[in-house]
Amino acid sequence: MHGSPLIDTCSRLVEGAVSRGFDEVAILATRTDRTMVKLANSQPSVTQRWRGISLSMYLVKEKRIFILEYRPAGGDVSEKEFDTILEHATVVQESPFYAPLPEPKPVEKIEGVVDKRVLEYIRDPVELAELSIEAAHRERIDYVAGTIDLWYTEKALATSKGVALEEGLTGLQVYLRAFSEPDGSGQWSTCSTSIDIREIEKTSITASRYAAESKGRRSVEPGRYDVVLSPLVFGNILNLVARMSSAFNVFTGLSIFMKNKPGDQVASERLTLIDAPRDRELPGATSFDDEGVPTYNKPIIDKGVLRTLLHNSKTASKLGVNTTGNAGWISPRPWNLVVEPGSYSIDELIREVKRGLLITNNWYTRLQNYVEGAFSTITRDALFLIENGEIARPVEKVRIADRLPSFLKNIEALGREAHRIMWWEVRIPSKLPYVLVRDVGISKHML
Amino acid sequence: MVEDLLIYAIDYAKELGATYAEARYHKNTGESIVARNGSILGIGREVREGIGIRVIVDGTLGFTAINTLRREDVKEAVEAVVQQTKHLSKTVKDRIEFADAKMGRARYEAIARKPFESMSIDEKIEMISELWKRVSSVPREAKLSVLLVQYGENLEEKVVVNSDGAFVVSRIPRITLYYNLVLNHPVKGTIQRWELLGASGGLEWINEWKLDEVLPEDTSTYEKLLLTAVTPPQDYVDVVVGSEIVGLIVHESCGHPSEADRILGREAAQAGKSFIKPGMIGEKIGSEYATVIDDPTIPGSYGFYLYDDEGVPARPRYLYKEGVIYEHLHNRWTAKVYGVESNASARAMDYRSEPIVRMANTYLKPGNYRFEELIEDVKLGVYMKSYMEWNIDDERWSQRYVGLEAYLIENGELKGFVKNPVLEITTRSFYSRIDAVGRDLRFYAGTCGKGEPAQGVPVWFGGPDVRLRRIKLGVST
Repeated sequence: MHGSPLIDTCSRLVEGAVSRGFDEVAILATRTDRTMVKLANSQPSVTQRWRGISLSMYLVKEKRIFILEYRPAGGDVSEKEFDTILEHATVVQESPFYAPLPEPKPVEKIEGVVDKRVLEYIRDPVELAELSIEAAHRERIDYVAGTIDLWYTEKALATSKGVALEEGLTGLQVYLRAFSEPDGSGQWSTCSTSIDIREIEKTSITASRYAAESKGRRSVEPGRYDVVLSPLVFGNILNLVARMSSAFNVFTGLSIFMKNKPGDQVASERLTLIDAPRDRELPGATSFDDEGVPTYNKPIIDKGVLRTLLHNSKTASKLGVNTTGNAGWISPRPWNLVVEPGSYSIDELIREVKRGLLITNNWYTRLQNYVEGAFSTITRDALFLIENGEIARPVEKVRIADRLPSFLKNIEALGREAHRIMWWEVRIPSKLPYVLVRDVGISKHML
Repeated sequence: MVEDLLIYAIDYAKELGATYAEARYHKNTGESIVARNGSILGIGREVREGIGIRVIVDGTLGFTAINTLRREDVKEAVEAVVQQTKHLSKTVKDRIEFADAKMGRARYEAIARKPFESMSIDEKIEMISELWKRVSSVPREAKLSVLLVQYGENLEEKVVVNSDGAFVVSRIPRITLYYNLVLNHPVKGTIQRWELLGASGGLEWINEWKLDEVLPEDTSTYEKLLLTAVTPPQDYVDVVVGSEIVGLIVHESCGHPSEADRILGREAAQAGKSFIKPGMIGEKIGSEYATVIDDPTIPGSYGFYLYDDEGVPARPRYLYKEGVIYEHLHNRWTAKVYGVESNASARAMDYRSEPIVRMANTYLKPGNYRFEELIEDVKLGVYMKSYMEWNIDDERWSQRYVGLEAYLIENGELKGFVKNPVLEITTRSFYSRIDAVGRDLRFYAGTCGKGEPAQGVPVWFGGPDVRLRRIKLGVST
């Protein structure tokens, strides 16, 4: 096989490892060209640029599993590394998770995920930085902070089963947080595989509108409320739920789905949550997983029913099912998340609420117990009290403190417009609408 | 020689117009062993090695990183970062300058008294597998459904060189043990406990931590807790906050808001801002017992260093002193803005990361109470020893800690377990309500997250047990 230099590197390393005595080998190489501009106080605070190759190696000797993550000086693997691992192989037990690497299957490449304009902005992001700042200041705000992150990744995978695959993808995430003194702030985000100038402008403007509208906050009592959550908040919570659907997290006690099996009703019938690696708009898109298995879109939760956990060949083998194309050699993972929208406008969602909250952003979600799903998260930025179907006034920070299973079951209605979201607290690229959830626990400090 | 490459990088950046240049060779190597219920799932090895280059061009900060050590790649990277930074400088209003600082020229290392190589891989595996045998046989009525254990050994090697004269070579080995356990009972539900143990040094810490003895005892406690814990009292009571939670509180509500870059808004869209604003040095934040120190120089600590990644010599920082906001964490940029000297808080996770203002080892200064003395005059109260859930708002004011191992105190004695007591409190309220401080200082390991791309750096946080008067606890749902 002769391909690009990257796939050649992978194939050569596979051959080298096999000839040294490993039974099975997979090599994943990623070449990255990435620029990030951080904004603070309505100006760039730093520009960062990365270029380089990273290598991940999966090595099996007599059903013992070894993973090597390598960002080497020089871009190659020293013989010593292989020798060290081979020494380990003589003493380590067989992994209970071992399953053979999958045989090669035809992979249909996702087209249209490289946008040349992203490559241009990686070289010179000034225009995007200026646009983000300028658009934010079209509203009555004092200053804006944020991140403009642009990348091109080329990944190649070769395995000892004969897999030899590669693909490239451009991506971007933009998130802006606007401040309107003394206490107004708002945030929005977007992500994509291609440049969409209007969407970047809209990100700034939405953040700034929320900042301007949330000035003059007053306190609100803790209790149980109906809540309308923005896609940022909904995305943060569903990122957590989607990670819990990784079969590895179920095995290791880090999932509410430990107590479930596919077919169980785990959420409101209004919720359909899809792992969507073939959504070409979202920058987690990939046509093959880390084992070379072709990816496909699949509901994790379909109309409230748990359809599948996310699997690689090992977790699938352990449970006697097929891989879902979500490897991760050790832990399967979601690629992109999509929630099927509903039929409501934002105003219509708010009209459904007699007394409740519109929560536009949150952070710091932590769990008391992953199995029970007892969690809390604290709001940040614009937060509004809803009374009799209308926004009454901006209010001060509170926490959502509830249990994930009941939160998921109390989803009542979904917005009709889906937004692409990715930022610090929503790491998996997600496309999802506003949501109305009934009877949610709201706490706050009383001391 | 890598040093020659670094010097070349800074000289070339200066030649191209940078007013400041810094080059850091940074290599992180690590090995980890992961086991579930006594079986080894796999072994991971990691090598991250490269050069991080930072420049100031026309008052603007730029950073780049490469993972090759070829002179032509360094040249190209320097040219690209200088050009990109220069171009971006058109949009920058406030010019970046660094405060003058004493620059380190030193070589130091943390010593592993018992090196990683002194124990064979099969002995390490045996140690991890043994934990499952010891712990799984403990529960009588509940079942240990998961015990995940991860052993990690790491080595961080750096050479920091900058155009102001720093030349610091360092070598720090670190060891970690992480576990996650889930106890299950058909009627009472589940209880979960995870913990990270970490330090700089070597295998000597295994004997210090004695997880093979501690974890079976703790598991027995967790089973009793699962089976017998009752709802915590709903009235105002006295609360003794255990050192594990005190450590977390000082990290979250003193360390983070004292980061000067956060105060100046540089992290506003990511980790957030701070309730501390410019000009608040000297303001009262708590009682006389509220003294919080961040000290990178503690031998054996997980956050240990003697020079920061800008080459500045480290020292203890008194962030709150006797109830007053006293000193912030500074790098050379924030020091210049504040008109002070850097106190060596610039840290980078790896070669790909820009140095930013970070904590190292943050702790509440101990007092002189024995534990028995802390609880002896408490008529009705709660002792919260450990936690699982916590969070704090992005200005570091409103925070929540949910107790895991927690006891009722009645007439000066511990009486049975309470379930998931919630301490939800503001920063000022916590530091103001401390009326007694224990004498035993204990440290806990954590990976502190900040920056974009996110950088996780090793820290310790700690303190003694403290007593708070008149607290209304919440109950977790």
